[in-house]
Amino acid sequence: MKKNKKAILLLSSILLVLIILITVIWIKSGKKPPSYECTNFAMGTYIQQTAYGKNGEKAAQEAAKKIGELENLISWRINDSDINKINSAAGSEWKTINPKTTQLLKTSLDVAKKSKGAFDPTILPITSMWDFGGDNQHVPSKTDINNFIKYVDYNNLRINENNSSASLKLHYMGLDLGAIGKGAACQEAVSAYKEKGADYGIVAVGGSIGIYGSKPDGSLWNIAVRNPKKGENQELSIGTIEIDSGFVSTSGTYEKEFTENGVTYHHLLNPKTGYPVNNGLVSVTVVCDNGALSDALSTACFVLGKEEGVKLLNEYNAEGIFIDNNNKIFVTEKLKNHFRISDSQYSILNNGVK
Amino acid sequence: MRIMVLKKRDLILILFFLLVGIFLIFLFNYPQQTGIAIVEQNGAEICRFDLQKQNRTEEINVGDKYNVRLKIEPGAISFIHSDCPDQICVKTGKISKPGQAAVCLPAKISVKITGNKKTHDGYTG
Repeated sequence: MKKNKKAILLLSSILLVLIILITVIWIKSGKKPPSYECTNFAMGTYIQQTAYGKNGEKAAQEAAKKIGELENLISWRINDSDINKINSAAGSEWKTINPKTTQLLKTSLDVAKKSKGAFDPTILPITSMWDFGGDNQHVPSKTDINNFIKYVDYNNLRINENNSSASLKLHYMGLDLGAIGKGAACQEAVSAYKEKGADYGIVAVGGSIGIYGSKPDGSLWNIAVRNPKKGENQELSIGTIEIDSGFVSTSGTYEKEFTENGVTYHHLLNPKTGYPVNNGLVSVTVVCDNGALSDALSTACFVLGKEEGVKLLNEYNAEGIFIDNNNKIFVTEKLKNHFRISDSQYSILNNGVK
Repeated sequence: MRIMVLKKRDLILILFFLLVGIFLIFLFNYPQQTGIAIVEQNGAEICRFDLQKQNRTEEINVGDKYNVRLKIEPGAISFIHSDCPDQICVKTGKISKPGQAAVCLPAKISVKITGNKKTHDGYTG
């Protein structure tokens, strides 16, 4: 009798353990639908996608296709792109363009106006001289910058939404949508996920991120903010943003830079001077519900600096993280509770902008 | 009916199995420290390395016109050479955690780490 009891006890203990284990495994595996990961190169950068659900693969492929199509419209490097057509006709005629390009130019102009030219889509005459990341990257001569800076002026970009056309007023002017294109690409991907019925997904186009849907376990998406100081013993990220939806973009000096005669030049140029911005910031991250806007705003805020940048973010109901070269981080009010630092070298400036 | 009184030995037995159970749950939940490094060119896989099983440091030549070389070591992988002008790939340093990636844009060569537990859904910047 006593032996029996012991056996029952033993068996039920084993059973209990098994039940717990099976439940845990079942919950863990049952939560995640199939995922499809793919990577490719477009828009001059690296694109990583993870789309979930039975339509994940179709959705990611459609997204890659849509990003390719967008690049063919808005890259100034591509012959016959809308932007290339406008640039070639600068100072002469209006060009009819795809409504998508018109919309993106409209967003560009809006940020240009509200940032008082800190973001300027007509910066090509200057960016093409510096050629960051290209085979001919170098510091342009002062004379060249002085000669061409006058052709950087968004006021001379005109768009007509009614017949979807645009023109640049002066010869030598040129559009470069490099500071808004990657965010716009994220938006294309997210709309493809929706269209093709992915359950949820995430896309990264360079440093810009787009989020679609929410995870089935209800947890927030966590986005790592890259450490501006890269190197052997540095952590890859300085902290994490947790959000339920939207788009995230970062403009950082480290993305593209080169050193000439002992001086390091980064790619975030001030459209007013033609030279890299030198205001103590090393990166600005923007969170917002529109991809193109998050991208353009990150550049605009970097150029404007913290105080003016925060004002601009307020106008768009966007949030931001400003990191300076003293490892101090400023986080806008609403984002504060959704951002945590993981690198102890950095600290948050808590008191906000007065 | 008699009320069953547990003996000390029975208690120890129950405790033992509970501990085994808890241990197993932790084992299943424990995030993998590293994962598989997948080397791709233009989005197509060239080769892969299981960083967890990697027990020695080696260099591999991926080639391309930029002479890209990777260093694979226990738990981490990095670009150690590229003739590209921007050197972003080399400056990225070692990557080790699932979800991380390092890229040489001019060569269109990328290394990403996959694994069952990603520490982050994405990287910005």
